[in-house]
Amino acid sequence: MVNPIYIIILSLLAGFLLSIFDKGGRKLSLTVFYSVLTFNVFVIADWFYRFAILGVSTLTINTAGFSAPLSINLQLGMLESFVLLFANLAGLLSAIYLIKKFKESKISSLILYLILIMGVNGLVMTRDLFNMFVFLEILSISTFALTILTKNKKSLSAGFKYMIAGGVASTFFLLGVIFVYYFSGNLNLEFISSNDFTNYGLIGVFLLAIGIFIELKPFPANGWALDVYESVNSGIVAIIAVVNSAAIIFVLYKILPLLPTVYLSVFTGMGIVTYIFSNLVGIRQSNPKRLLGYSSVAQMGLLAASLFYTTKLGVSQNISFLIAGGIFINHFIAKALLFWIAGIVKKNNIKDWSVLRNNIPLLILFGISLLALSGLPPFPGFWAKWEMVKVFVGSKYYIGLSAILVGSLLEAFYLFRWFGYTTKNKLNKETMEQVQFSQIFPIIVFVLILFFTSFWIMTNVYSLNYFNYLPLVAIFGMFLISFLRSKVKAIISIAAVVLYGYFLFPLGMSIQLLFGIIFIIGSGIVIISTINRKNTGKGFYGFLLMMIFGMGNLIIAESFLAFFINWEFMTIAAYLLILRGKRAKIPAIVFITFSLAGAYFILAGFGYMPNIANNGAIINTIGTIKIPLMAMILMIIGFLVKSASFGAHIWIPGAYAEAEDDVTPFFSSMFSKTGIFGIILLAISFIKQTPDFDLFYWLGWLGAISAIVGAFLATFQEDVKKLMAYSSMSQLGYIIVSISLLSHLGWISGLYLTLNHFMFKAMIFIAIAGVIYRTGTRQMYKMGGLIKKMPLSFITVLIGIIAISGVPPLSGFGSKWLLYNSLIEKGWFLQAGVFFFASAVSFLYLYRMIHSIFLGQMKYEHQNIKESPIWYLIPQVIFIIGIMAISMYPNLIIQPLNTIVGNYFNSSIVIDGYNVTSSLGYWNGNMVMYVTMGVFAVPLILLLLINGRTQTVKQFNIVYAAERPESPQTTHFAHNMFSHYYKALGGLTKPRIQSFWNYVSEGTNSLAGLFRQIYSGNGQTYILHIILYIVAIYFIMGV
Amino acid sequence: MDIMIKIFYAIISIIVATVYGLTLGGIVRKIYARAHGRFGPPVWQPFLDIIKTHGKRVSISHGIMFYLGPVFRFAGGLGTYLFIPVIFGSAIFSNFSIAGDLLLVMYFIFFGQLGMALGAGEGGHPYSPIGIARGLSQMTSFEVPFALSVIAIAIQYNTLNITTIVAAQQGGITNWTLFTNPLAVIAAMISLLGMNMHSPFSIVLAPQEIPIGPPIEMNSSFLATLQTNRGLFAAAKLVLFMNLYFGGATNLLIMVIKTFLIYMFSVFVGAAFPRFRPEQSMRFFLKWPTIIGIVAIIFIAYF
Repeated sequence: MVNPIYIIILSLLAGFLLSIFDKGGRKLSLTVFYSVLTFNVFVIADWFYRFAILGVSTLTINTAGFSAPLSINLQLGMLESFVLLFANLAGLLSAIYLIKKFKESKISSLILYLILIMGVNGLVMTRDLFNMFVFLEILSISTFALTILTKNKKSLSAGFKYMIAGGVASTFFLLGVIFVYYFSGNLNLEFISSNDFTNYGLIGVFLLAIGIFIELKPFPANGWALDVYESVNSGIVAIIAVVNSAAIIFVLYKILPLLPTVYLSVFTGMGIVTYIFSNLVGIRQSNPKRLLGYSSVAQMGLLAASLFYTTKLGVSQNISFLIAGGIFINHFIAKALLFWIAGIVKKNNIKDWSVLRNNIPLLILFGISLLALSGLPPFPGFWAKWEMVKVFVGSKYYIGLSAILVGSLLEAFYLFRWFGYTTKNKLNKETMEQVQFSQIFPIIVFVLILFFTSFWIMTNVYSLNYFNYLPLVAIFGMFLISFLRSKVKAIISIAAVVLYGYFLFPLGMSIQLLFGIIFIIGSGIVIISTINRKNTGKGFYGFLLMMIFGMGNLIIAESFLAFFINWEFMTIAAYLLILRGKRAKIPAIVFITFSLAGAYFILAGFGYMPNIANNGAIINTIGTIKIPLMAMILMIIGFLVKSASFGAHIWIPGAYAEAEDDVTPFFSSMFSKTGIFGIILLAISFIKQTPDFDLFYWLGWLGAISAIVGAFLATFQEDVKKLMAYSSMSQLGYIIVSISLLSHLGWISGLYLTLNHFMFKAMIFIAIAGVIYRTGTRQMYKMGGLIKKMPLSFITVLIGIIAISGVPPLSGFGSKWLLYNSLIEKGWFLQAGVFFFASAVSFLYLYRMIHSIFLGQMKYEHQNIKESPIWYLIPQVIFIIGIMAISMYPNLIIQPLNTIVGNYFNSSIVIDGYNVTSSLGYWNGNMVMYVTMGVFAVPLILLLLINGRTQTVKQFNIVYAAERPESPQTTHFAHNMFSHYYKALGGLTKPRIQSFWNYVSEGTNSLAGLFRQIYSGNGQTYILHIILYIVAIYFIMGV
Repeated sequence: MDIMIKIFYAIISIIVATVYGLTLGGIVRKIYARAHGRFGPPVWQPFLDIIKTHGKRVSISHGIMFYLGPVFRFAGGLGTYLFIPVIFGSAIFSNFSIAGDLLLVMYFIFFGQLGMALGAGEGGHPYSPIGIARGLSQMTSFEVPFALSVIAIAIQYNTLNITTIVAAQQGGITNWTLFTNPLAVIAAMISLLGMNMHSPFSIVLAPQEIPIGPPIEMNSSFLATLQTNRGLFAAAKLVLFMNLYFGGATNLLIMVIKTFLIYMFSVFVGAAFPRFRPEQSMRFFLKWPTIIGIVAIIFIAYF
């Protein structure tokens, strides 16, 4: 047990003596330097252990033999030790990171570094206002001096601006200290209370607070700080960005009790403004360090806002610690990591970061840091956001809520874009420098701490059920066995999926079982097609399993939180899978932006949710609570994004098309169903509790519009995967409308469609993956006549399109019959009309696909290609069997669905043998099958009997009127097949939604450009900003 | 009922319908010829055509799907016909309408079209897919007013069962859908023009542009199968319209008269108007007939 004052004393002493030690050689001075830093960490860690684990009470240290207020006193408690532990650890690690630099630089840099750390320690512990000012100045000056150690013109001017601005801020703080002393007669925080300041006395508190607040670099008065981030050595910036900020935010925390409520509100607002605008400006930034600077500033704004706001509301201490602590740790660790990595990569444009691909471990660490900084689970920032949204919704602070979510989205956007550049930009020949152990060591330590904290929060704060860890376990597990051959990994993955399903899923007749079949069994089958891969590269199966387990967990999630983290796991995994595609840079960023936007809607929606009893999966308990309308709307928007409904559909073609071909089936047949599952989840509550507003009527219309628009979009595609992507959008429109009917027949048809879509989309996409694998193109007009070479794939696609189009006798007709019956029964007549239209239009794209690929004339270059590999064929055959079985014996599926839906509605159909009767009509699937077989067999047999003389000729053996076409290449009618329809639709074909989103993105970009102009680089202007800012705040608060 | 008797009746029913459909085709050709100022072929010419094409010494196939195309087409015709009750109250002509309702018939029409489209596609002749692309596009557009009309009568009779719809129209001409729900009938009759593909909607077979379109590579028995189907399918469609809109038929004679008159509507229009371009045809169906169909639904559902 060492008195913490020795931290300060020793640092100070060592600081003075270092130059003497240095005379004995740099080794000696470095030993002393690192020993002191290490000593600090151990002392604080020891104290933190005492406070956190042993529950020792807060320690007060008097100096100079007097107790406060006669002398300055220090305080070390749980919070102080927590902040200082991180600060000192970061100080030590950053010093290790800088060891090479420290070996060469002047001794003064070591001294300054030590003084800086000492300043931080003092600032956090001191309880005396004037002493705070002193430490602030120490911090400011040592930072400035360290800044200009990097010898270039930029850093010099940046450092100068930093010092001047810091000086201005401290001046206000000092003025504040003077006024506070004048009004309260004291300088020690223990002896000052907010009651001391009434009327004009408030000016003292105001100056105090604004001085500190300026140090936190609020937007727009923060130009002075950003130049520093950009121009100074990464190791030092890591300290400035995280350690300095941590100390300053803690000072703010200490003076919080003095502030009147109105100040808290305004400062909250200013923090949020900083968050959203800094992130906005960040999207225009290409310099990685400056980008991180914007992000730092934003995060500090968020942290300050959360501190002010929770204090204002008097939120319980646990929650406010979780929020502020979560943001703090997240920012602290992730930002330090990213600055360190930036120092290793040494590229001044994020577009050049592809060089990081030469060092895969570092790339992984980089990815982890980005995910953490974006506030995604399981990292601490996520939990903070989760609680914060609840607090904001609870107190009806909607502007703040939306600003924070928009800000988060912007931040995630530029971070993921950066990751996209890194993983996808062209890799030049240049290689990275050898990474020093001293540079990688701090990174690894912080990543471990990051994971440890995340794990600690998951287990100790939320005590989540064990299966919620499985997506993470999967990715780690697959990482550990990544040395194995890819076929072995595929088989392990299948086994893992099977075991997961077997142990976790309830087998009773329920919606859970249905979606379990789709997500789990479906995934197991589709993984078979990936066995074909010769080399998967690292991570593929990890991401895949993470996505599958994430989807599976949605069904059995026992709380809203569990649902949402799995939702995010699934989204992250999907993003990483899409990103693996060769040209997936843009589609992946569009995907993640839309997905996260959707997720934030869901997050906000969960904020409105009442508490739910924690017994069993929420899909089973959701009926017991009434979901507020606002939550319903927000969450439905989120789910619709996932199922690519009209309006949010523009992510779908790129993501589906550019994902690897054997990954797309997962997206289309399973991943998109998660949105449907979410809508069902909400609908269950909606039907069990009397709703105020018939939201689902409008959702039904949206489904109808998605169906028709998706069908037309598919019709005009040349790219087969884009065609099928839009087809998914259209088909999901059918499902959405039937779920929205909220009737027995509607739900049967919705679930039937879901199951059917799952099967035919999986098999078509796998068949197409095989075709693309053989032909090497996705453009349909570049293929043709492949029926001769790939007959099995043709049969799959044929059965698939019959099942989609609803032509009897296959299962698709059942779904159409149920759909129209349910629509008409409900009285949704015009919607039924739209679906007739959509279903007719689906013939256009289906024919286009099968004709352009398999029929017509074959290209010369495809003369020698073979059938799809066996691993593609196996899952196709399984799905064909599935489709044929439920077509022949519809009861296999109608009966169970009747039981499942019977849990929610009274049955409206009669099942008698194979005859299904609704209030409107009837359908006997089995008999239709037999009649069809009969009417097919009769002409076939006749034709075979009377037409025995048939001779078969090649496809190109055709004749125009007395003329022979020149070559098969020019004779295949495929390109722009429906040009006449395009013409007929006239102005309706304008891509309005695409234009809208382009407008949004360009508008955001221009807005960012506009705000960026305030950063003129001129120091005087920056000072003016600060003064104006203070004046403005002064007036807003009406001090 | 014994399934063998059912099948036996079905065969009779099919033969009657095919013969009737083919004769009707012959009559139409005669009418067109007279309108053009020609003498025209004899009324039994379609039968001669079928016999002739069957008798061809050479038969060419482009592959299995090509071979199956006409089979699909004919099966589609047979199926469509077999799922429609032809004569109200007749055991012989009730077919397999026990298997499903109006929706089944509407979707079974696609069965033949899709199969034929695939078969013709394998033929490799570019005129086939051109014709099919036109045909499918036109089909999507005339399907809209027809579907709206069907929905309107489903609302009106509260059923999709064809037999029940016919039953509801018995007992006098004023009970026909034509008089109880005229807007739905107008929408459906306009879409019938498209289904029958006479001018101005003859864009699929369009002789001067894409000579006979989809079946261009079809020959010998393949073509004969298609020609046979043309008779049966025409009859099936007309019977369907008669059942839905014109009170059905209680005996064969009434069936013949009614379907003949329904068909004449297409023939008169076809003889009088020139051909549309494909996009004009689609636009036409998606405009006025669709609006009439929507009004029919609104009218019947809410007034």
